[in-house]
Amino acid sequence: MHATQSRPESGEDDLRLQLDNLSVEFGATRALDGVSLSVAAGEIVGLLGHNGAGKSTLFNVLSGVYAASSGEFIVDGAPAPGKLTPQEASKLGITVIHQEPALAPNLSILDNMFLGQGLRRSTGQRERARCALTEVGSDLDLDLMVDALSLGERQLVDLARGFLTGDMKMLLLDEPTAALGRAETESLHALIRQLAKRGVTVIYVSHRLPDILDVCERILVLRSGQLVVDGATDSFTGRTLAQALAPGMADEEFVPARVQVGAGCLDSNGISVAAGEVVGLFGMAAGEQFSFLAGLFGLDGHGRFSWNGEDVDIASPEAAVRWGIHLVPADRENDGLVSGASALDTVFLPWLRQLPGRGWWVGPAVGKGTYAEARKQLNILGPGADAPIDEFSGGNRQKHLLSRWMFPRQPRVLLLAQPTQGVDVGAKQDIATAVRGLATQGVAVLVASAESDEIAQLCDRSYVMYGGSRSEVPRGPEFSGDLVSTLLQLSDAVRPMEGVSR
Amino acid sequence: MKLPSVNLKSFLAKNGIFFALVLLIVFFTILNPRFMSTSNALNVVLQVAELGIVALPLALLMISGSVDLSVGSIASAAAVNSALVMSATGSTVLGIAVGLAFGIAAGALNGFLVAYLGLNPIVVTLGFLSVWGGYAMMVTGGRTVTRRELPETFQGFGTATVGPFPVRMLLLILVVAAVWYVLNRHRVGRETYAIGGSERAARLMGVNVRRVRFGLFAATGLASALAGIMLGAKVQSVSPAVGLNLEMNALTVALLGGVAFAGGVGRVGGVLAGLLFFGVMRNGLVFLQASPFLQTIIVGLTLVVAVALDESIQKIVKQSWATRGKAVLDASIEAGGDPGDPSTPLAGEPQRLGAGKH
Repeated sequence: MHATQSRPESGEDDLRLQLDNLSVEFGATRALDGVSLSVAAGEIVGLLGHNGAGKSTLFNVLSGVYAASSGEFIVDGAPAPGKLTPQEASKLGITVIHQEPALAPNLSILDNMFLGQGLRRSTGQRERARCALTEVGSDLDLDLMVDALSLGERQLVDLARGFLTGDMKMLLLDEPTAALGRAETESLHALIRQLAKRGVTVIYVSHRLPDILDVCERILVLRSGQLVVDGATDSFTGRTLAQALAPGMADEEFVPARVQVGAGCLDSNGISVAAGEVVGLFGMAAGEQFSFLAGLFGLDGHGRFSWNGEDVDIASPEAAVRWGIHLVPADRENDGLVSGASALDTVFLPWLRQLPGRGWWVGPAVGKGTYAEARKQLNILGPGADAPIDEFSGGNRQKHLLSRWMFPRQPRVLLLAQPTQGVDVGAKQDIATAVRGLATQGVAVLVASAESDEIAQLCDRSYVMYGGSRSEVPRGPEFSGDLVSTLLQLSDAVRPMEGVSR
Repeated sequence: MKLPSVNLKSFLAKNGIFFALVLLIVFFTILNPRFMSTSNALNVVLQVAELGIVALPLALLMISGSVDLSVGSIASAAAVNSALVMSATGSTVLGIAVGLAFGIAAGALNGFLVAYLGLNPIVVTLGFLSVWGGYAMMVTGGRTVTRRELPETFQGFGTATVGPFPVRMLLLILVVAAVWYVLNRHRVGRETYAIGGSERAARLMGVNVRRVRFGLFAATGLASALAGIMLGAKVQSVSPAVGLNLEMNALTVALLGGVAFAGGVGRVGGVLAGLLFFGVMRNGLVFLQASPFLQTIIVGLTLVVAVALDESIQKIVKQSWATRGKAVLDASIEAGGDPGDPSTPLAGEPQRLGAGKH
């Protein structure tokens, strides 16, 4: 560990930030659920958690984007008002750095630094910008256009903005190294340590566990809006951290698939899945596992794979559906559902052409039997078959999308992209049961996801994909954790040596 | 059900054109009691027959998320083509066949450029508005093909009747029925709504988006040609400007009728009401002896108002979905059952894909 042990002169007990039972509610969902923690001045804290665990919500409360529903939020011993505005947050010395620096590429560094700060152009501004850049250890020419800068340099400019308004007290970093090379990451980490030495409190969010282990002194883990782990970095290893993030699912309910290789087996680019089997494809958020599914479906050009050793060429989604390969896309609202379509049409539309006469007479009752059956299978709740799909809740909309591709006609291969994202626990269970049930009837199922828990709930085994390389992970007692640590190994092995931009 | 105000608002938003039509008729009747008569009603329908024949297929095309601004010029060019063939050969049937074939071809060309080459429909068809308009002027030298040059059977076409019904009205009814059938009872209608609602989602459902869109353009071209030929028969001479402003008027009718310019939304009944509203307004202005220039101004303003209403109507309808959906779900949680089950009385508003939305 390279974590700095030294503290600023202001003293060990100087608490910079205290959260007391902080909750944030959006309608019925609790994005943050009674989080209490305290962070000292000059401390570097790593914040971990899955998508939707509440990391971004916490950042947004601290930076004044959201208001807390209940609980206290104390900065430097003074309770912050119920709702900060972003301007007040920046006056308190709170700076947020996002993965993509929010800079206008067509303006100079100088213009960008004063953009949106509410500061008047004045003669002294060049000096102040110069000083701010020096604070972050950069001697970039103020008149350079931002689009001539590397991503690392852009982050420095973004960081320097935090010094314009006065003293930086708290620095919130959201996935700062996601697109940085090793050298740039190391210089960013060096800068973070320097700032911490001068008393800046740093909260660091990253999916890259090595980065967190490298620079942070303490690690917090959020799960479903609750703080579940709070401990010194020294007490963790990569593996224990992965387990803390994704605790093993209740495996005793899981019935392994009976693989029916004779009934069909798909092979493509080293990925294979047999009839009766549910196989996962795990990778980064928006990673290549999703484009792999789209490729099989013939979405961007021809999809090619072998089925029982015979080559299959899928020219278009239409051809894919005809062949019997069905895709549930990850972006439910844009790629899956048509706003305004009735619930019945949402499920039955692709199958109208299979009616007698290719759908020359579609009466109002066509497909209602199938729809009612699908509704029972997936336990769908909401208005009737004729109501627009928009009237259903998110989980029930997802169930409609799944039943479209599962029940009116049984597929040969079912491709699912994040089939349980954004739905509640009960709906997740309903979906898992239905997918496992379909597999036992001899369907080959591929599940692409960026969430290891989702794969662990659904799949018999999984592949992990990163940067063109893949490795297979069998189902074990710590399936979810194994997936995360395998992805970690892969991503570290193929990490670029130098910056990716420029 | 709960939230009656939301439902009422969305009901009014969806059906506003019907109320507007009634109000307009009442308004003109008060100003001139002779307005309300059977002969004038028939008059209104006959005045907008050709417009309706273009507006309904155009509405179908707009529901799929496209638009054809070249319909007026296709109508002119088709009418001119058929008139020239008729005057050269003396055959009415051959002339009409050539005109209709031209319409399909011109529509198919639009469809090929938009659906298969992915060009912007507004720009492409705006270009052909100019191309076919110029073509009609060029082949006639800008002069009207007069009555003496046209066969006698064609001259009778404009006033022909089957029993008590004028042929022009029957053709309108035929087109209305065909569009209603495609939209409400044929697979392609569901696919059309889906393409207009989300082209990408439709493609991912295995819908052959290109073929559907190509077909809709070709059908719109055919209907435009038919309208152009009918307009010529109506006045018994074919001017190369016979379809002038047809695209503008048809677009106004479709938007008035609740077809969303963004696609995905529209009903045959609404477009019919929009067509009658347009016809009543024109007819009423004639009754009031308004200047024809004023009429043009009013038509233009109507188009702008229709677009403005389109936006707010879609917003109101979307809001009502969200609130009603939540009400139904809350009620179901209270009752502990599935309200979508036909045995429970809570089932939401009956609705086929697109059919009930506006």
